[in-house]
Amino acid sequence: MFDINLGLTVWTSFVFFALLFILWKYAWGPVLSAVEARENRIQDTLDKAAGEREEAAKLLAEHREQMADARRRAQQLIAEGREAGEKLRQEIEEKARAEGQALIERAREAIEREKEGAIQALRQEAVDLALAATAKLLRENLDEERDRELVMGYIEDLSKRAGARA
Amino acid sequence: MRRISLVQEHLEGAAQGAEEAHEALTMEGLPEWISHHIEDAREIEFAGGHWSLESLALDPIQLGSLAIDISPTRQLVVMLLVAIILPLIFIPVARIIGSKGVEKAPSGFANAMESLIIYFRDEVVRTNIGHGADAYTPFILTLFFFILGMNLIGLTPLGITPTANLSVTAALALISFVVTEVAGFRALGPRGYAKTIFYLPSGVPTLMKPIMLAILTPVEFLGKLTKPFALAVRLLANMTAGHTLILAIMGMIFVMQSYFMGVASVTMASILMILELFVACLQAYIFAMLTSVFIGLIRHAH
Repeated sequence: MFDINLGLTVWTSFVFFALLFILWKYAWGPVLSAVEARENRIQDTLDKAAGEREEAAKLLAEHREQMADARRRAQQLIAEGREAGEKLRQEIEEKARAEGQALIERAREAIEREKEGAIQALRQEAVDLALAATAKLLRENLDEERDRELVMGYIEDLSKRAGARA
Repeated sequence: MRRISLVQEHLEGAAQGAEEAHEALTMEGLPEWISHHIEDAREIEFAGGHWSLESLALDPIQLGSLAIDISPTRQLVVMLLVAIILPLIFIPVARIIGSKGVEKAPSGFANAMESLIIYFRDEVVRTNIGHGADAYTPFILTLFFFILGMNLIGLTPLGITPTANLSVTAALALISFVVTEVAGFRALGPRGYAKTIFYLPSGVPTLMKPIMLAILTPVEFLGKLTKPFALAVRLLANMTAGHTLILAIMGMIFVMQSYFMGVASVTMASILMILELFVACLQAYIFAMLTSVFIGLIRHAH
């Protein structure tokens, strides 16, 4: 058991190296390279997946920002529209009020004018009535000039009293 | 030396064995009977048959005055059997794994072998050897599976264990030693490698240097040689011990010649066989593991 059989030692070395050669070339080599290739492939896939996930996250963030932007712009548009509407309403109101005012002014002026005319006509009528009444009362021939002065003085007095009353 | 057929190892062959046996096995004859079954021989005894290997005897190789007898023995035959079985297992495995390519997931037996190979690459070789470890993976793998095959084949009814022979374990340890030293030489260069033998700690006074060298060099040298010696003896002792125990327990049946002993022995031997199965794997693993540890140590020496 403990005595060395050198022949067997030589054989063992020979068999071992032959086996090492055969297995290295036809078993370990192909297996290890295949495993390495698969490991690299898996690592690549994982790396790519991580990259894609990052990309997706970036896209999502971008998309969210766009959505927020669009919402903001819509809000702005609505606000602008509301403001414009308000302005238009005010303008229209203003214009209507001004037109109304102008109409009233014009009507007042017309009334004033009519009033003036009426007063003038009344005054003329009063003169004529007074003259006719005077002529009827005093059938005698008086100095025309003196009559007129007397009547005018009377009318003046009358219109003054009317002015004080008005 | 008494010739007792190997059939006696098996219970069912006991009656036939008794017919063939020249004389009954005694307590005194037991050690010799055990070593007869463990030791190498130029004949194979299996299932009652005898095959002599004398006809295959080769002329010894003459190396000067040293004559090396290279005639095949039964342990060599078993070793060659292992060397044939291993490629028969692993070359198809490699083919299957290769044909799967990078797109398909591995499966089945090939996947199991692949896991084992990857375990050795990652946990044994890369962990212990470090940078550039992958170049040693095939060597460590071959070492492990070759030893494992030889350990396991000894547990079959064939009962011949090449690793229970110092000639074999010494050769394996020698290979491990040479590979370790070559790895060290390649990693460290001639000067760095020389330092692993002629080691001088820094800070030694000039006057003390020759004395230190004279003391430390034999120590370093012994340190190198004890590693393969321990490897060889550890494997040999582990493989021999288990077989000796099992044979002793089984031999008791034929010494005692009782049915009770038969039942008790077979029960105990079965339990021991399970332990042996574990030891066979463990020792192969330890041999491969320690070899990578030694390679790693010398590559990162000092």
